[in-house]
Amino acid sequence: MNYHLRESLAQMRGNATATLSTFITMTLTLLILGFVVLLTFNVDRTLSQLESQVEIAAFLSDGADGKALAKQVRNLSPVTDVRLVSKEEVLSEMQRDYPYTKDAVELTGNPFPATLRLKVAHVEDSREVAGLVGQMKGVEDVEYGAGYVDQTVKTLSTIRTGGYGLVALLLIGTLFNILNAVRVAIYARRHEISVMRLLGATPGFIRTPHLIEGVLLGLLAGLLASGLLAPAYLYLARQVDLLVPLLPTITDLATISPVLLGLLLLGALVGLLGSLFATQRYLRELE
Amino acid sequence: MIEFRNVNLDYPGHAAALSNIQLFIGKGEFVYLVGQSGAGKSSFMNLIIKRHLPTQGEVLVGGVPLSRYRGAATAGLRRQIGMVFQDNRLLPHLNVFDNVAFALRVTGVPQREWQTRVLGALRTVGVEDKRTAWPLQLSQGEQQRVAIARAIVGEPLLLLADEPTGNLDPENSREVVKVLQHVNLRGTTVLVATHARELVESYRHRTITLRQGRLVRDDPHGGYQL
Ligand SMILES: Nc1ncnc2c1ncn2[C@@H]1O[C@H](COP(=O)(O)OP(=O)(O)OP(=O)(O)O)[C@@H](O)[C@H]1O
Ligand SMILES: [Mg+2]
Repeated sequence: MNYHLRESLAQMRGNATATLSTFITMTLTLLILGFVVLLTFNVDRTLSQLESQVEIAAFLSDGADGKALAKQVRNLSPVTDVRLVSKEEVLSEMQRDYPYTKDAVELTGNPFPATLRLKVAHVEDSREVAGLVGQMKGVEDVEYGAGYVDQTVKTLSTIRTGGYGLVALLLIGTLFNILNAVRVAIYARRHEISVMRLLGATPGFIRTPHLIEGVLLGLLAGLLASGLLAPAYLYLARQVDLLVPLLPTITDLATISPVLLGLLLLGALVGLLGSLFATQRYLRELE
Repeated sequence: MIEFRNVNLDYPGHAAALSNIQLFIGKGEFVYLVGQSGAGKSSFMNLIIKRHLPTQGEVLVGGVPLSRYRGAATAGLRRQIGMVFQDNRLLPHLNVFDNVAFALRVTGVPQREWQTRVLGALRTVGVEDKRTAWPLQLSQGEQQRVAIARAIVGEPLLLLADEPTGNLDPENSREVVKVLQHVNLRGTTVLVATHARELVESYRHRTITLRQGRLVRDDPHGGYQL
């Protein structure tokens, strides 16, 4: 093991350019991946907060049996909460929020319908629930935050998809970089390798230093990426918090540290895969 | 030990480097392989360590066709064979001791055995005092001996020596042949490719002659006649 480790360190020193370029692309890739993952976490948390806040309002026709309708709606499975608000309660809410409604009421009487306010477990279900409730007898109209929520969901998931696409491309780039670095290392050792073969070294023995090289590079890149990501992300999150205090940004270590660990492991894995593939391919080309 | 069955070898761009070789070498034999430059001596040896596979026919070592060996099995085969290469193939970045120990290292021999075995091999070939020198600091004859030491340190069943005296004066050449005979007496089968008429005639052993890839003589009593 000692021999293999020394051997792989010597190789990395021997082809510093290939090693360095691999290291840099790998670090950047992992860094961006880390950002995208953390962004996704934030998006998910924001969405679930939106979900808990979004309400569907069903306006009842005069004379409809509010209590019976409330019961019926409660039986719909996506619905988590139903509240019946009478005409008078709506009116007093409105007068509290918009004092000038008082004048209007004097002219026309209470124009506000009794309302069922319901919450659903997942925002995506809003449309369906609204449709169902809208068909019930005694329900005049249904309103929900569709436009605003749909748009937010769309934007955020586009950013997320784009981010993952970018990371996938970068990971492929990283793989090619590792392949190249290992190929250069094998080429530099070709005389030694051919002698090793003729002396009876197993393919596994010849490969090991190159595999270690790949894994070591991946681990180091993961380490650096994590080391850069943590402070950069926390700084950014604090800035966002200052700008938009309502956004539920994630800053707890319990959520962030698995991401950092994941980057390390992914780095090692990509390094291992790249060098496995490279050794399989390029060692066969020799002799 | 070694059997050639109707072996033909073509290289890309060079047909019939060996043609229709039919031959058996028994365990414990000492055999010279002679022939002019380009006759196919190195090619013959390279077939035995499976550096090449025959274009036609089959080479068997220990009764097993070499085409059956794959991957790690090929490595196992080569561990039983020591080879002295025509261009010696010492590693320039390792000193003499490490070059010889390299053969033990790559075959997984525990490090505690290296010292005794490497020094023993260096003593056998008479370059024990050069163990810390670099290959490029050695005369060609000394390099050749180190290459022999590396070939025998693994105590192979079969020793292939391709021109082991190619760069040596007559005195040193005789020494090397004595070393090879000594190894042979310990039970190792030895095959020596050589141009050195003087050696072949004074230390007589079975002699196989190649001419343009064909086996033209196989004389159990020896003698140099191309
Ligand atoms: N890798 C190769 N590709 C093409 N031709 C080759 C190759 N190796 C050897 N040959 C040819 O095969 C023939 C036999 O070569 P080989 O090296 O076996 O001869 P040799 O008897 O060992 O010669 P020498 O005494 O000079 O070492 C030669 O004509 C050589 O040109
Ligand atoms: Mg030759």
